[in-house]
Amino acid sequence: MSAKGQAVLEAHGLTKTFRTRKEKIEAVRGIDMEIWPGEIFGFLGPNGAGKTTTLRMLSTLLPIESGQALVSGFDVRANPHQVRKRIGYVSQLGGSDRLATGREDLLLQGELYGMSRREAERRADELIDVLDLKEFASRRVQSYSGGQRRRLDIALGIMHRPDVLFLDEPTTGLDPQNRANLWVQIGKLRDAGTTIFLTTHYLEEADALSNRLAIMDHGRLVAEGTSRQLKQQIAADSVIVSLQEDGAGSDAAKKLLADQDYVREAGAEADHLRLYVDDGMTALPKILRLLDRSGMTIKTITLSEPTLDDVFLRHTGRSLRDAGRPAGEERQQ
Amino acid sequence: MKPLRDIALLYRRSFIQTFRVPVWLVISFSTPLLYLALFTPLLKPIAGGPGFPNGNVLDVFLPGILALMAFMSGASAGFSTIFELQAGYTERIRVTPASRLALLIGPILSSLTWTSFFITMIIIVAVPFGFHIHIAGLLIAYVLLALLMVLFASFSIAVALLTKEINSFAAVVNGINLPLLLLAGIMLPLELGPSWMRAIGHFNPMYYVVEADRLLAAGQLWNATIAEGFLVMAPLAGVAVVWATWVYRRAIA
Repeated sequence: MSAKGQAVLEAHGLTKTFRTRKEKIEAVRGIDMEIWPGEIFGFLGPNGAGKTTTLRMLSTLLPIESGQALVSGFDVRANPHQVRKRIGYVSQLGGSDRLATGREDLLLQGELYGMSRREAERRADELIDVLDLKEFASRRVQSYSGGQRRRLDIALGIMHRPDVLFLDEPTTGLDPQNRANLWVQIGKLRDAGTTIFLTTHYLEEADALSNRLAIMDHGRLVAEGTSRQLKQQIAADSVIVSLQEDGAGSDAAKKLLADQDYVREAGAEADHLRLYVDDGMTALPKILRLLDRSGMTIKTITLSEPTLDDVFLRHTGRSLRDAGRPAGEERQQ
Repeated sequence: MKPLRDIALLYRRSFIQTFRVPVWLVISFSTPLLYLALFTPLLKPIAGGPGFPNGNVLDVFLPGILALMAFMSGASAGFSTIFELQAGYTERIRVTPASRLALLIGPILSSLTWTSFFITMIIIVAVPFGFHIHIAGLLIAYVLLALLMVLFASFSIAVALLTKEINSFAAVVNGINLPLLLLAGIMLPLELGPSWMRAIGHFNPMYYVVEADRLLAAGQLWNATIAEGFLVMAPLAGVAVVWATWVYRRAIA
């Protein structure tokens, strides 16, 4: 990885603890990572994993408790001003100015970053074009739809051509059509060379957009790599079997299957068994035969290639789809 | 120079946006008008009595109303801050390299401009009803009222940033407003009250402003009471600005 030159962003041992009268919440417990120029780095994890807290520390909004973070070589703690010039940040709330028009807001943003009025105008027009803001850029933001506002938020974030753009849950609250549209826009930014640090709790989003991703849970990174690498680490297809038998019968089946040499791992979930096998195609007939011979009745059986959810499940013992419970509640404002 | 440019940019934003909420403009102007129209008549019977030496109630009452305008404009500054926090605007602006002082002062100077405009309008409206204008004194009074406005605007914005939501913010601000106003002699001079009230009044910065303001409006340009007004206000306004800037600079966790 070091062949790519200097990292745009690096973090070493970042931690953050929130103290309330009653308890101590360790929101971030030692994060190490590097982000390289031109990539989209996805930060995947359930709500409350500590993603936003990490992002807020990296973007100078929240004091770093311990550890170090560098943006383009500048220390976030020691030199927040230099860091601010080089990052763009789009929070979950967005941040566009409701009473301004989209274009006015872009101009203000550019000028606050030190552009001349003319430069800001040129850049605003460019972004209005790139992000398809034309039809509403001269209207007040308060009249925008969710998707329109999101696109403006992103334009605000890249107005000054930051070294890295932080996007915190960019598609939360959007309908599927707007989400798909935003993915296209974010893809275009990546193609234009923008480095993006994106947090999300949507598997599909992390999979579709990121070059590389990290999985965060309970304040720690539990896995990191390209989506492909992570899935290959599991290096297994999963077979989901639901049986007529439950309770003791299901336990027996699990034990039986776990003993087979082609089954790497077997686990019981709500109403089915999940098996990780090296090669699903050849394992499937064997499983069918084995269960049949043991006198068990299969209700359904499904074979699937590994998904990021399997990766998540493997590293955390939970499925991301139902991991949304606030374990260490995400701090926002 | 960067801070000055940032102040100008954020000033312009706030100034323009004030036009876009015309209801606010109407209320800012109608409140003092209502006081003049519906409170002054009650004072007529006591004109010439204690507290109203020259017999014209407006000369005593109007300076109080002007101080009230400056105070209310300052104390309510935090409401916009709450909305901006909730829209994510505050966070967005805190991530830019904009000067932290400018984040605070730009909008405050914009409200100050509007408040000065309204104060001038109210003075003009009051003239036909018998208010006597003393230009030099009024100009000095503007400066004193500006300090008062900056003090409470900074305080209000800092409280908004710390409380972050409308209910706690409104509770703090309203809880502080009423005693400050009652113990400043805004409506009627505190000299009319018992000595314990005057004694407590001396702990209220508003009191000094109102006292000095009445003298300035009456054409006095300098005496101990006026000096006291400035000596109390200037350092307090300075401290409030430094504190609120610090709150902006500090992360709001």
